[in-house]
Amino acid sequence: MSNETATRRPVVRSGVASAVVPGLGQFLLGERYRGVGILLGFLVILATVIWYGKPLWYASPILIWLWNVWDAISLAGGRARSILLPLFFGLAAAYGIGWQVVEIDFSKANMDRALAILRPMTRPDFIQPRREVNQMWVPVQVPCSSQPPAARREDAGRVATVIPDCGGVGETLIVNVTGMWANAETSIFWQNPIGNPLMLGEGEISMLTLTTDESGSLTTTIRVPSTALVAAPDPTLPQFHRVYFEQYRPAGGYELSFIGGEVLKGALATISMALMATGLAMLFAVPLSFLAARNLMSGNPVTYAVYVIVRTLLNILRSIESLIIAIIFVVIVGLGPFAGMLALALHSVAALGKLYSEVIEGIDPGPIEAVRATGANWLQVVRYAVIPQIIPPFTAFTIYRWDINVRSATVIGLVGGGGIGYLLIELIRVNNMRGVSAVFIAIAFIVIVLDYVSAKLRERLV
Amino acid sequence: MLKIQNLSKTYPNGTQALKNVSFDVKDGEFLVVIGLSGSGKSTLLRCINRLIEPTEGKIFWDDVDITAAPPAELRRIRRKIGMVFQQFNLVKRSSVMTNVLSGRLGYVNPWTSLLGIWAQEDKQRALQALDRVGIADKAYSRADALSGGQQQRVGIARALMQDPKLILADEPVASLDPVLSHSILQYLEGLNKEGITVICSLHFLDLVHRYATRVVALKDGVKVFEGSAKEIDRAKFKEIYGEEAQEVRAASL
Repeated sequence: MSNETATRRPVVRSGVASAVVPGLGQFLLGERYRGVGILLGFLVILATVIWYGKPLWYASPILIWLWNVWDAISLAGGRARSILLPLFFGLAAAYGIGWQVVEIDFSKANMDRALAILRPMTRPDFIQPRREVNQMWVPVQVPCSSQPPAARREDAGRVATVIPDCGGVGETLIVNVTGMWANAETSIFWQNPIGNPLMLGEGEISMLTLTTDESGSLTTTIRVPSTALVAAPDPTLPQFHRVYFEQYRPAGGYELSFIGGEVLKGALATISMALMATGLAMLFAVPLSFLAARNLMSGNPVTYAVYVIVRTLLNILRSIESLIIAIIFVVIVGLGPFAGMLALALHSVAALGKLYSEVIEGIDPGPIEAVRATGANWLQVVRYAVIPQIIPPFTAFTIYRWDINVRSATVIGLVGGGGIGYLLIELIRVNNMRGVSAVFIAIAFIVIVLDYVSAKLRERLV
Repeated sequence: MLKIQNLSKTYPNGTQALKNVSFDVKDGEFLVVIGLSGSGKSTLLRCINRLIEPTEGKIFWDDVDITAAPPAELRRIRRKIGMVFQQFNLVKRSSVMTNVLSGRLGYVNPWTSLLGIWAQEDKQRALQALDRVGIADKAYSRADALSGGQQQRVGIARALMQDPKLILADEPVASLDPVLSHSILQYLEGLNKEGITVICSLHFLDLVHRYATRVVALKDGVKVFEGSAKEIDRAKFKEIYGEEAQEVRAASL
């Protein structure tokens, strides 16, 4: 009887204790970590559901609380309950709240808009059919002088004329061209004296396009564009403008499109950016890494203090995403690859400094003592026992960093850091999805090739 | 003649590795140092070429005080003392050839050696040294591509490059199996017969009996025995090694 009360008392006491403060019963029974863990877990879940404020989720801390009392009672009897159950209650609440906070709503997906973007992306603007151009122009004076020269030009069997020979803004002119390709679509546009093209179509916002007859001639009327003299220093001074005729036809084969050329330039800029950044970072990281190597610096309090400071700085620097650093450098040195390069370099100094210092910390002291024992001097020891041990991993880490930097460089372009990323954001802004798709392909290609090359190189080094 | 007088070593953390150890080593001896791990064997060997600076005491080698040698002279002394290590201490990523050539660093022009340029004569010598330990065909392999026994032979070839008068061997066979142990020690024995003094620390009683011309035993940094190998019987061995002696002997079979 007395035996029974002796075992019953801690059972009741633990149950009550845990009912008042979750985990207290377990704590008093000597299971300190369990007790504290239960209390903390309970409080975190409770705080979360109170903050979120949806009554449904109050079930979770209540169930955990009930389990905690049950566990305390069982523990007093010598048997702990599995923590899988409260873990499940906690995770159910966490994921349930997470689902609602993230506003997951698949009905929002708009397939029409998606297709409008994706369809042009199936035709990346990288190459285009090669074409021939047949271009002809004729000068015309605007405004008229007292004796305007004839508005007529002959070139390679083609003749273009304007009647009359000159005109003021808004006046009608008759243009004629002969000797062009027959039955071919021909664009006609105006060019002012400083070389800017002006449209001649409806409302001066569209290209005037006509087709030549079977003899390769066409005649039409145009109006001198209203903006023809906008750029002129003195609108009363007669100057020569030009009327252009342009025809295109396929020439067989393919060539790089304008966007394609830009993509290549951007890719080159991005790879160079990463290369320069990695090189620059290496120059700074090598000396820093020696200062950040514990085994070299723990000798006396001064060097140890240097070690702690350098390590802390590297850690802080490394924790700032290069994207953020890039935004700062864009402000300092302006838009372009230089800003991106500096950002990548700064972040890489920290990353490489840490990796290098770990290499130095991990070198085998055996060869050092063996080479010292041969009577070698300090420099010879470094050359024959230290350098052979650190060069291959240093090189491997540097290549790896370059690989990472190329990827980061594409993203850094998005915030104005130049290279292919900058091209990408520009193309997205003007809704050129064919160009965007060309950029995607280029990025994927670069990353895959680089990944392979860097892995192969590192494999040979380590 | 190597004279060790009242040698003591206390590490900065307060560990006393050697306590007032004195003994002489005559030229041409194969002196074996025995004792438990931590008894001070490694410290003793490293004090002789001052890889570890002794706290007190003196070491004379042919009447030159090694312990008082300034750095340049110390390097000249070291180049005549070859050293072989338990863990071989090769630069794993370098070629066998480079590892062996590094034994010559005390002799060559420091500046050309920094550029990695070696005289044809030194390369020839390295190949001869490798040939002597039977692995000339491995000269251009990476050191870590070799087996343990082969790596230790590279270690011996490196020591040979120093044209040594004395070889310090710090448990040269503790990382090898018994068969390989004999082959390595036979190389050292061969060198000893050519007149090179050998100081070698060993663990196994039968190896001690087989190779030692004289034995010094250390226990907790104190010299507890000095004499011929024959005087070391099982009882003595057990006294030096404590109760673990049985196991050690069994393992050596």
